[in-house]
Amino acid sequence: MEILLQLVFSGIALGMIYAVIAFGYQLTFATSGTLNFGQGESLMLGALVGLSLVGTIHGGPYMSYLLMIPLVIVFGALQGMLVEWIGVRPAIKIKSEFGWIMSTIALAIIFKNVAENIWGKDDLTFPSPLSSAPIDILGANVQPMQIAVVVGALAIMAAVEIFNRKSIYGKAVVATANDRDAAGLMGINTRAVITFSYALSSAVAAFAGVLVAPLTLTGATMGASLGLKAFAVAIIGGLTSGVGAIVGGLILGITETTAGYYISTGYKDVPGLVLLLLVLAVKPSGLFGKAAIKKV
Amino acid sequence: MNFKLNMLVAGLALGFSASALAAEPIKIGVAGPFTGGSAPMGVSMRDGVKLAVADINAKGGVLGRQIQLIERDDEAKPERGVQIAQELINKEKVVATVGYINTGVALASQRFYQDAKIPVMNNVATGSIITKQFADQPDNYIFRNSANDQIQSQMIIKEAVDNRKFKKVAILADSTNYGQLGREDLEKVLTARGMKAVAVEKYNIKDVDMTAQLLKAKQAGADVVLTYGIGPELAQIANGMEKLGWKVPLIGSWTLSMANFIDNAGKNGNGTRMPQTFIQDPNTPKRKAFIDAYVKAYNPPQGRMPSPVSAAQGYDSIYLLAAAIKQAGSTDGPKVKAALENLSEKVDGVVTTYDKPYSKDNHEAINAQTTVFGEVKDGKVVLAK
Repeated sequence: MEILLQLVFSGIALGMIYAVIAFGYQLTFATSGTLNFGQGESLMLGALVGLSLVGTIHGGPYMSYLLMIPLVIVFGALQGMLVEWIGVRPAIKIKSEFGWIMSTIALAIIFKNVAENIWGKDDLTFPSPLSSAPIDILGANVQPMQIAVVVGALAIMAAVEIFNRKSIYGKAVVATANDRDAAGLMGINTRAVITFSYALSSAVAAFAGVLVAPLTLTGATMGASLGLKAFAVAIIGGLTSGVGAIVGGLILGITETTAGYYISTGYKDVPGLVLLLLVLAVKPSGLFGKAAIKKV
Repeated sequence: MNFKLNMLVAGLALGFSASALAAEPIKIGVAGPFTGGSAPMGVSMRDGVKLAVADINAKGGVLGRQIQLIERDDEAKPERGVQIAQELINKEKVVATVGYINTGVALASQRFYQDAKIPVMNNVATGSIITKQFADQPDNYIFRNSANDQIQSQMIIKEAVDNRKFKKVAILADSTNYGQLGREDLEKVLTARGMKAVAVEKYNIKDVDMTAQLLKAKQAGADVVLTYGIGPELAQIANGMEKLGWKVPLIGSWTLSMANFIDNAGKNGNGTRMPQTFIQDPNTPKRKAFIDAYVKAYNPPQGRMPSPVSAAQGYDSIYLLAAAIKQAGSTDGPKVKAALENLSEKVDGVVTTYDKPYSKDNHEAINAQTTVFGEVKDGKVVLAK
């Protein structure tokens, strides 16, 4: 029982990392029907910029962990706007169905190479703001940072949701997400909304980066595998639902750790991917997704 | 006009070929991962190789010719290694190649050298099968000067079972060729002693959560964890143990001395032991000169070499090769190979002094006597006591 609990706790922490990134995929998909395939790289850049501010690698530390977070979020937002401006806007303008796929992937590769030149190619340690000594919860060990990841991830997702529901700007986002053309006719600047959603999604990813960096290692290659797993989560949960991201993340995280223990550590990635295939076969819009009717 | 131009071109071409004839350098390939998780090993190896070449060239080179290095980054990917092998052989026309950090890359790439009859000096990769890949062929062009996994796995088990009396061992190995071949070697040694590991687990490169693997080992009652993997994931293992509040000693292959393990594991890495052919400890004049030269040339952070073993073996591999070329009096592959198998001159390296290191049947220069145990202590590898 304690074993299961330990596995589930580790799975939850891992799953929430996936969930935050998956949430970022959804933000842009909702408003523009496009995804940033460089979401993993946004996370990586956020983590590395954060490391430069709080770590010792560039002569720092320049500030405390808490002060660094808003700066990283701002950086993430700017980076997201850049992606939208270079990679996505041209594709939307010419009504290209798939141009944004290659351009966001291309930008992701460029970001990775730039990061390799600035921060080197090695994995670095991110100083942990909390003690790494585990605390005992119901007989299972949990690190304070793991709890911080879960709380932080839920907080940022809640903040975005509340903003969307309550503020007038958020309502513009929701309106655009529901029907871009109608929102445009109602006088909403949908182009600005799309830019905003990209900024938001990259900011969320950058925040996730500094959140998970103390647990994982930080380096130019950290984004790729996390970004890919989060994409699977977004598909499992459904690309149109925030709850879907959380549930999908938890499902994948917990399946990974429990399958590793109860089946074989050599096959730990398999059940999650089988699940992905099952979801695609049975409910292609994802567990929580709405089936979109495509008008031709 | 045209005639003049032709003359000019012809003159230039003649000039070039004449100068090329005068001092045509000896081209030696250097292949290893200079990026990615294995980079500390690859970069240190390359830097050690460069130091040795600089020394030799300063003393007039070999056979009156300078050595020219052709460096290629294989990114620890077998398919890149294969491309590079073909490029080095067919386009660059190298005389020999030193390198290979990753067992998988070596196994995929060296067949091209074997076919082209060009010697390969494996200076870091340790998979036991590497030098025996072509044992069934009349001539074997694959040499090595690193402590292979057979030696290491013997030492690891001896340390864990005989010296420190651990009874229940768990093995954690990564899913690469390196990890899995090493795991096989460890299991073979255990079986020979009538023992069996209580848990044998696997993980992937870039895994960020080792809970499942560690829990299995813990539940099986392991009192020591033996590892076969590279730095970043090994650090995840050490840190994962802290997360679970489970602390047993880590003993593993020499890669536990990589800087990216030591840095990322921090205090969780203390006490970790691994076989080492070279420790950054200037206990002989030759070693002191080498360490000083390395630190001066590359200025590593805190004066600590990223992977001293790789640098030292890289350095020695060039000296072994140079001695063979000198003895052969030629850069012809079969002749160099024959000279390597019967080196008359003692080669004074930083790892050890090589006295007839190779023979027709034995292409391993390092044995258990030249390998010691290192221990991680406060961010450095020191000699284990």
